[in-house]
Amino acid sequence: MTEDSTKRITFKVQRYDPERGSAPYFQEFIVPASRGMTVLDGLLYIKENLDSSLAFRTSCRMAICGSCGMLINGYPHLACHTQIEELHAATLSIKPLPNLAIIKDLIADLTPLFNNHKSIKPYIIRHDTEELLNPTAEFVQMPQELETFQQFTYCVKCGICVSACPTSASDKLFLSPLTLAQCYRYCADSRDEGEQERLPLVDIDHGVWHCHLAGACSEACPKGLDPALAIQLLKRRLVSRALGLGKKKRPSSVVSPPTETKPKVPFPEFTVKGS
Amino acid sequence: MKQIRPRQNYLGAGGWVWAGKYKLERYLYLLHRITGLGILLFLLIHLCITTIFRIQGQDVWEATIALLRNPWFRFGEYLVVIAFIYHGLNGLRLILQELGFALGRPTPPIYPYKDSLRKKRPWTITMLAVIAILAAVVLFDFIVGGW
Amino acid sequence: MRNTYLRLLQLVTGALIAVLLGIHIVIMHVDAILGFFGVDAAKPTSWGAMIERASQGIWAGLYIALLVFVLYHAFNGLRNIILELTPSVKTGRIVTWVIIAFGIIAFIGGTYVPVALLVS
Repeated sequence: MTEDSTKRITFKVQRYDPERGSAPYFQEFIVPASRGMTVLDGLLYIKENLDSSLAFRTSCRMAICGSCGMLINGYPHLACHTQIEELHAATLSIKPLPNLAIIKDLIADLTPLFNNHKSIKPYIIRHDTEELLNPTAEFVQMPQELETFQQFTYCVKCGICVSACPTSASDKLFLSPLTLAQCYRYCADSRDEGEQERLPLVDIDHGVWHCHLAGACSEACPKGLDPALAIQLLKRRLVSRALGLGKKKRPSSVVSPPTETKPKVPFPEFTVKGS
Repeated sequence: MKQIRPRQNYLGAGGWVWAGKYKLERYLYLLHRITGLGILLFLLIHLCITTIFRIQGQDVWEATIALLRNPWFRFGEYLVVIAFIYHGLNGLRLILQELGFALGRPTPPIYPYKDSLRKKRPWTITMLAVIAILAAVVLFDFIVGGW
Repeated sequence: MRNTYLRLLQLVTGALIAVLLGIHIVIMHVDAILGFFGVDAAKPTSWGAMIERASQGIWAGLYIALLVFVLYHAFNGLRNIILELTPSVKTGRIVTWVIIAFGIIAFIGGTYVPVALLVS
């Protein structure tokens, strides 16, 4: 299809009304789609013109907030990040993300995900709490130190990795790939000293060792985060701590105040010279 | 207002088998589980045979061996050997990758994203080729030794 | 750190099993190809060959070591698979104890015969 021509695409959307309580069912809508339209544009068209009771989450429409994760034609995507044309199908089947509870229609319950994420202390922990409360200067961090964990900071908490993970499908107590990747992100941060607190939180019965490197989380991640890599590096860290190997690195220090003061530059003349 | 309980939407153990159009490594994990359980089942039967039937003397032992020369049992043994070769070599790959050695470093994500398992996929394909070659060698031996 | 040690032991026993079980399978099954290399395996499952192996300490030791590693590796793997299906903590503990009991029974059953044949 080109920008001028439109094709009629069938959207088979899974509906579920909790107040009626019965099982989920599919409802079909015909959407005129042209080049450049995303699946989210199609859903908004349905909501504005065809059925305003359709419920789904959306916010930024540019793949940075992580609200619109859905199962589109059997694979989890961000609806705002998926062009209708790239799916090469005349019928799109749209369902909420699996392995998460459904609240209504296409809205999944992300609360267990957020609770898991909070439980591994996703913040910088340092022993010098005085510096954290009343900061005097920045922490030193070299570009090489940043590169060891920067890839894992791009997580938008969309929940697509949870839908892809085979362990999350059966193990309801599993800490999701999201949680484990963020635990590694904080343990690998050179500014952080909280590794001793966080590692026992993931070394539990349903923790990091129920990951078996299926790699589906990394494959499906819409931000290219590679949570599988983070989880395997976290396992490596756990093993080296358990065996007593591994260098103990000192956390980043605070930037020291400049010792030599440069001579003051004269304040420039702003008056216009000449005519 | 009535409190709404969200509806559970887990895929369950069926989610191990099929959850969407995923790529190779997810199915290697599934096959690793299936071969492991298959070898465990064979192990329990094998332990029974080599203890109960071996301690009773030569006649019982040779009668059991003659019974196990049946082509169906030999085919089952071949399957177990293939399962062990797959489980072993894939397990060696998992030992390297799960301890983070053979996966490479974190790199800034630039679209189109290539995750670490996909970057190391040539090695995985090589491992599968080695498994196929060993399976053919063992098949040759089974045929020469007689089904 | 308990789960880390359990998993690490599973990886180590896995590598050891790959070696020992590889030897076992090659001796048992691949005798035709070994014949090409000039190694005479002479029908390993016949009574004579079996008794000859059982009376040598090194073979009995190899089999008992293989049995210990395999029982740990297999039953720990089975425990992981079952724990991924049972969400409650109490059921998980029952499953662990049942599997440990099975493991001990299998170990006693499996080592009784090689030791008996070795000392007789």
